[in-house]
Amino acid sequence: MEWFDALVQGILLGGMYAQYALGMALMFGVMRIVNISHGDLVILLSLIGISMASAWGLGPLPVLIVLVPLAVLMGWVLQKAVLNRVVGSDPLPSLIATFGLSIALQNLMLQIWSANSRSLPGHGIESQSIEIGAVYIGLLPLIVLAVATGLTWGLDLTLKRTRFGRALRAASADVEAAAMTGINPRAVYAMATAAAVGILGFAAVFQALRSTVAPADGPAQLIYAFEAVIIGGMGTVWGAFVGSMVLGISQAIGFRIDPGFGVLAGHIVFLIVLATRPQGLFGKALA
Amino acid sequence: MSAIPYTEAEAPEVLVQRQTRSGRLAMTLAVLAMIAVAAMPWWASTGTIRSILVLCCYIAVAQMWNLLAGYAGLVSVGQHAFMGAAGYALFVLAQTYGINPFAAVFLSLLVPAALAVPIYLLLHRLDGPYFSIGTWVVAEVFRLTASNLPLVNSGAGMSLRVMKDYSAFERNVAMSLLCAGMLLVTLGGSYWLLRSRFGLALIAMRDNPVAAASQGVNVAKLRFLVYVASAVGCGLAGAIYFMAQLRITPGSAFDPMWANVAIFIVMVGGIGSIEGVLIGSLIFFIADRWFGEYGATYFVVLGLMTLLVALYARTGIWGLISKRWDAPWFPIRRKLVDPDR
Repeated sequence: MEWFDALVQGILLGGMYAQYALGMALMFGVMRIVNISHGDLVILLSLIGISMASAWGLGPLPVLIVLVPLAVLMGWVLQKAVLNRVVGSDPLPSLIATFGLSIALQNLMLQIWSANSRSLPGHGIESQSIEIGAVYIGLLPLIVLAVATGLTWGLDLTLKRTRFGRALRAASADVEAAAMTGINPRAVYAMATAAAVGILGFAAVFQALRSTVAPADGPAQLIYAFEAVIIGGMGTVWGAFVGSMVLGISQAIGFRIDPGFGVLAGHIVFLIVLATRPQGLFGKALA
Repeated sequence: MSAIPYTEAEAPEVLVQRQTRSGRLAMTLAVLAMIAVAAMPWWASTGTIRSILVLCCYIAVAQMWNLLAGYAGLVSVGQHAFMGAAGYALFVLAQTYGINPFAAVFLSLLVPAALAVPIYLLLHRLDGPYFSIGTWVVAEVFRLTASNLPLVNSGAGMSLRVMKDYSAFERNVAMSLLCAGMLLVTLGGSYWLLRSRFGLALIAMRDNPVAAASQGVNVAKLRFLVYVASAVGCGLAGAIYFMAQLRITPGSAFDPMWANVAIFIVMVGGIGSIEGVLIGSLIFFIADRWFGEYGATYFVVLGLMTLLVALYARTGIWGLISKRWDAPWFPIRRKLVDPDR
């Protein structure tokens, strides 16, 4: 029963990781860019949300409603001001640019909010749970998982069915050919980044509700998102979702074995996947 | 298939010029600086020696990162994994097994070398930017492993108490010689490498890996060798740095700060050149002394500078200088000179 409980908690934790991983999968799939400041943006949004909640006495839902459009705007500005200048076949400029941005953001947050851990008051929602059999399931983690599933489903559908999704897939397959058919790659990129960071707006609220956030937490979130994407297989949205579950379950089981082993267990599973199935669980093997 | 006929052409009489006046001047200065570093115990205070030691570590780590990112096209943000691994190896060998610590510095280099091989085999499957974060994961794995490993006293860290068997002067002599040796191996070694046949291959690979491969450069093998060499170089810097610190903990050994430092130095100084590493290291060293007390603000400025360099001046300060004046300090080009003209 203890292991079944670890499995359930792992899936719930995976719901949190899926919210980070979706944006990363989208950006890498479309632009071949990895945004090193990915995790720092989550933390920045969380801290803004926490400050808004305490300044205006907002509950979690109004914070979410304000934060997601703000995140979309941030993503759009990030693309226009930084990423559009570094997107290209050479991965170095985008890595270095977002790496610098990450260091600047972390230290800026440290100055504004200090190194303390904070969390978003959930007005009781964070302590409610449902009992199924002998396993207690927290209401909040369940909501997180449901939102993550909804976001994955919505993103997958957007990519498959809408005009924007077709433009995105065309631009990711061949930028020049897509441009010839009348797609403006820069506009597509800006929308992709806006969507990716917008999803981080959800992640920010739930992260701050579920646990605490501190300015130095960003890199860990980046690494979890990255591992989830690689485990699942690059370029598939549902792959990133399943990768998040695998990572969450590995960590939850690791924590049961030894509290010092939890995060490490996640890393080890990632390295095992990399060694045995480098294209990821859902990725197509390269010819 | 018949051979395509071509007229036999004689190679024109030319001299291959490989050294310049600026290069000879810089080489003289570099040798003098190296001697000055080796002779530190006779002219510098212990405090100065420690500062110079840190500067030498910056130069070594930055040059190793430069070799990876600037020539092999491998952008690693996890080279501190090898610094910490060699540092820990030194502490275990010297403190736990009682090996002479100065000999242990060299023995400890086997650890990063041995670790770099499987890590590269694993990580080279990752595409461009994902390789970078993969190296970061490896550094995290090292840090978490060290925190859980009783052999290295887990999270509490280790102290190098055996160093008290040596007098302060003996330690200063050893540190100074090690620093000079580290500069010789990392900078001198890189310079020698870049001037050799391998250097030609590396430069070809930097400019265009596909074209280099078509010219017969074994890109995969060269990348692997550069990765291992860079791991050993970072390991040397780590062993020397933590020997001077006398204390190592998982947090300090695998501190991502070193990745920040290396990237800042190389990008601001100028990627793909030894001169850039020297300029960047001096700027960072001086900035750290002057502005280090401002803590977070200082790092915000460093981060923004890195961002701006990546956006607007990819070649860094040395790139701007060498565009204006053609006076390389460490010339690696081969210039053909017609003696008749």
